[in-house]
Amino acid sequence: MASNMRGLTVFIADIRNCRVRELEEKRINKEMANIRAKFKDGNLNGYQKKKYVCKLLYMYILGWDIDFGHMEAVNLISSSKYSEKQIGYLGVTLLMHENHDLARLVVNSIRKDLGELNEIYNCLALHSIANIGGREMADSLAGDVHKLLLSQNSKSFVRKKAALTLLRLYRKHPDVIPAADWAERVITLLDDSDLGITLCATSLIMALAQDNLEEYKDCYTKAVNRLSRIIVDKEYSPDYVYYKVPIPWLQVKLLRLLQYYPASEDRDTRNNLHNVLQTILNNSQDTQKNVQHNNAQNAVLFEAINLAIHLDTESQIVNQAAILLGRFITAKETNVRYLGLETMAHLAACLDSLEPVKKHQDTILLSLRDKDISVRRRGLDLLYSMCDVTNAKVIVTELLRYLNIADYALREEMVLKIAILTERFATEYQWYVDIILQLISTAGDHVGEEVWYRVVQIVTNNEGLQEYASRTVLTHLKSPACHENLVKIGGYILGEFGHLISNVPGANPIEQFQAIHSKFGMCTLQTRALLLTTYFKFINLFPEIKGEILPVFNQYRHALDSELQQRASEYMSMATMPSEDLLQTVCEEMPPFPERESALLSRLHQKNSDTEDKRTWLLGREANKEINLKTSFTQRNNSFEFKSKDESNGNGESDIISSLEGLKIENNTNNNKENNNINNTNNNDNNEQGETFSLTPESERWVNKLLYNNEGILYEDNQLQIGLKSEYHSHLGRLALYFGNKTNENFISFTTVVENINDLIITTPQKPSTILAPASQTQQLFHIECQDVFFGLPNLRISYISGKFRTICIKLPITLNKFMEPIQLNGPEFFARWKQIGGDQREKQIVFTSNVPINIQGIRKIISGFRYEILEGVDINPHNVVGASVLYTSEGGMIGCLLRLEPNVDTQMYRLTIRTTNHIVTNEFCTLLQPRLMNDLI
Amino acid sequence: MGIKYVLLVSRQGKVRLAKWFNTLSPKEKQKIIKEVTQMVLSRRTKMCNFLEYKDEKVVYRRYASLFFVTGISSTDNELITLEIIHRFVEILDRYFGNVCELDLIFNFQKAYFVLDELIIAGEMQESSKKSVLRVVSQQDALEEGENGEKGWQEK
Repeated sequence: MASNMRGLTVFIADIRNCRVRELEEKRINKEMANIRAKFKDGNLNGYQKKKYVCKLLYMYILGWDIDFGHMEAVNLISSSKYSEKQIGYLGVTLLMHENHDLARLVVNSIRKDLGELNEIYNCLALHSIANIGGREMADSLAGDVHKLLLSQNSKSFVRKKAALTLLRLYRKHPDVIPAADWAERVITLLDDSDLGITLCATSLIMALAQDNLEEYKDCYTKAVNRLSRIIVDKEYSPDYVYYKVPIPWLQVKLLRLLQYYPASEDRDTRNNLHNVLQTILNNSQDTQKNVQHNNAQNAVLFEAINLAIHLDTESQIVNQAAILLGRFITAKETNVRYLGLETMAHLAACLDSLEPVKKHQDTILLSLRDKDISVRRRGLDLLYSMCDVTNAKVIVTELLRYLNIADYALREEMVLKIAILTERFATEYQWYVDIILQLISTAGDHVGEEVWYRVVQIVTNNEGLQEYASRTVLTHLKSPACHENLVKIGGYILGEFGHLISNVPGANPIEQFQAIHSKFGMCTLQTRALLLTTYFKFINLFPEIKGEILPVFNQYRHALDSELQQRASEYMSMATMPSEDLLQTVCEEMPPFPERESALLSRLHQKNSDTEDKRTWLLGREANKEINLKTSFTQRNNSFEFKSKDESNGNGESDIISSLEGLKIENNTNNNKENNNINNTNNNDNNEQGETFSLTPESERWVNKLLYNNEGILYEDNQLQIGLKSEYHSHLGRLALYFGNKTNENFISFTTVVENINDLIITTPQKPSTILAPASQTQQLFHIECQDVFFGLPNLRISYISGKFRTICIKLPITLNKFMEPIQLNGPEFFARWKQIGGDQREKQIVFTSNVPINIQGIRKIISGFRYEILEGVDINPHNVVGASVLYTSEGGMIGCLLRLEPNVDTQMYRLTIRTTNHIVTNEFCTLLQPRLMNDLI
Repeated sequence: MGIKYVLLVSRQGKVRLAKWFNTLSPKEKQKIIKEVTQMVLSRRTKMCNFLEYKDEKVVYRRYASLFFVTGISSTDNELITLEIIHRFVEILDRYFGNVCELDLIFNFQKAYFVLDELIIAGEMQESSKKSVLRVVSQQDALEEGENGEKGWQEK
């Protein structure tokens, strides 16, 4: 530790000796004057500037206003001394906000330090960008920071800082970061061998992926794999073990990242993830003595439970979790109780059946009496989430009882929640009215306007409620302590529906009027205005008490308040008109309110909106369905977007087909353009999709041969070679890829992604290792199942870093014909079936010219390679090839396939006739077979 | 969005360190410091380490005479934040050698430098104690080298 600025130490000691604030102020003012003078004088060396800036910073931290010294801090930044530069940067980051005038002066110094060879200087610069993060810096420096993150030459501690600096810039100014373009490269950091880098990269990816779910979708598998490597395979360096838990921070982040996506469709990924979650749950079975160990373990556990709930609320894991949570909410440790209740509320909000939660209802009700307000709040949230028709009465009654003694900070929210639950789960009018009026009289000032508006709305719209409501509200009005909100409701309801109870003893017109008017004097002007309207309505309902009411109007005609005065005057003159027509028209019963979203819900959710991160879950069951809470809305939007992109992905499939067809036609007319980028024929509106499909040029020449061979080279360039072996039995197949690294460098973050085709299931029991050593080979095995007829060839995307980031997109030679089994038929059998299938759509006949000389032996190889049995002696012309086969699918059944090929060696032409029991299959075989016959030299 | 601020506050309510990870006006900062400090100081032991403040959460822990306080958003993981605090304390402890409040008062700038190595943009940057301390001591070595030639300047 090297810091000896004696002047600073003395100053700090001085301040500490000031026992009273006045003395401290005096000392501070003296020092400020001193420093101001020194700065004005100029002529200070770097050391002195540093010392004075430090003093200013100390005062700043104590809470004193510092309005000078910024320039000196800026000067220090360009000092050649590290220690001075460091204080300069600290000064700038503490004293300056992002839009400070001087901020732009710093940009150039920062750029210079970013480019320094000494990494320690790079770090200072990165810190200051991350701390200030203004527009100007974002615009001019984001590119430099990005370079530092991805450059292989950067030290790992610089790359970590660069990742988080970008995160900060992205949060502040998302437009300066081309998030989608960076996706592929940034995602590879999840495989980095340095866990610290993966940790920082995950933070960055979480932010970027939230807004670009589709572009970042590959991070899902990588996150699952990384979790699996850490948790299941225990693959980590000892530096990153925190109290026996391997890098809990990264675990939590990855588990959270996965909650941004819907559950994976891929079986292997799902199994992997299941293992991860199960292991986490198992690990948590034994509680540890050590607090840190416990906390780290539980931090991971709670995140894992949240993810499990997100994936499938009915799963076995969620069941186990529910039992665990039941234990947690009775735990001794307050933190655990708190989190147990919080997570259970999440569970309750998502579950279809609330039974697992309801079991703990008594414990949860008790939590309202916990010593700690934080726990009480969580209890309240949970009760709100777990409430349904069956337990509403118990919960609401308990909440009402608790309301009397609840903290003031909690009351408003409680009132809202009680009002919502009462309204939502009421099965009897009486109960609703009783509870809601009791609520209003108990909570008094904590009742927002929305609550009584809503009561009026509901009573007006439900005829059955009106009489009971009028009676009850009158009882409340007669009690000596009656809150003003009740007077408002009473005024409105009796004014509208008072006539319904005017025959009830104790509720005749004059008694109603007196009950209200006894409160009149204590009410605010606004309420009095409302009550004047009630009286006016009374005149219409009960002409017999007009004599009592008119004096009130008369009195208020002279009120100072203009609103009261106006109402009183207008009502007075209308009531004293010779004809009652106008009065009756004006006082007609109010029509029902249009159905609208409850203002209560919007109010409640207003209270907890506004978070930058997307909520991965919401509170309150029905609320989730009814309310467009701002965050949930965006989230939904996102998932919608995701889905619709998914759908277009589906369309993408057929696009490949059509583009392949396009290719075929091209081949017909425009000789040998096979290696054309498939992408070229894609529609414009599918461009985005096209990009991911864009094939590596020249890669198709290998795959074509493999359509009728079971092993061979799939791809090769100067860095990478891919070999393939495969075998197929009816609808199942196994395929092995051998990746060879031909270079002298490691391939880092080696990743393969198969883009699935509908009805063709490709799974991989084990992903290849993410690092491929020089001159070595790794193998990846795929299991394949043909569920039903599918089209085209699946894409395989390979990416890795070797010096720089590289992706290769190729097609995998898995085509429909691979799932055929040749069958032997004799002549009569063949012709019987040929006729049985018939012509029409199930037959396709094409005549085409070959680009290469016809070799009879060669074409027989191709046809049998396509898995047809070549039938000898069926066709009288020995050159002609006749084939028979059966296509197997696991769900679509079997499809018979017959073929006749008539080559004309002299004219170099073919006539190909294919008949199958399914016209789609017929087409697909023509599409696959024709280009091979035309172009392949065997 | 991760940690929004880190405050070190003494039992008497004096601020020893305040680091903000998002942009706030000085007025807003003062308000948060005042209100959050008040809430945290009034908590009793055995209560949980989490508090609700406006739409956010406060995660805090007391170490001897100092409260380490962080603000996070309501959706963030509380326990893991609590352990970030603990790691910070462990690193300070190792760096200063049995750290006490006085160390942080007289070397406040060092506390900031250490924090910069642990958290950027409100996110944990490096959880390995060793890696953090290595970088900090690298900085100190640079400073030490410069100080050798400078020491005499102080009067």
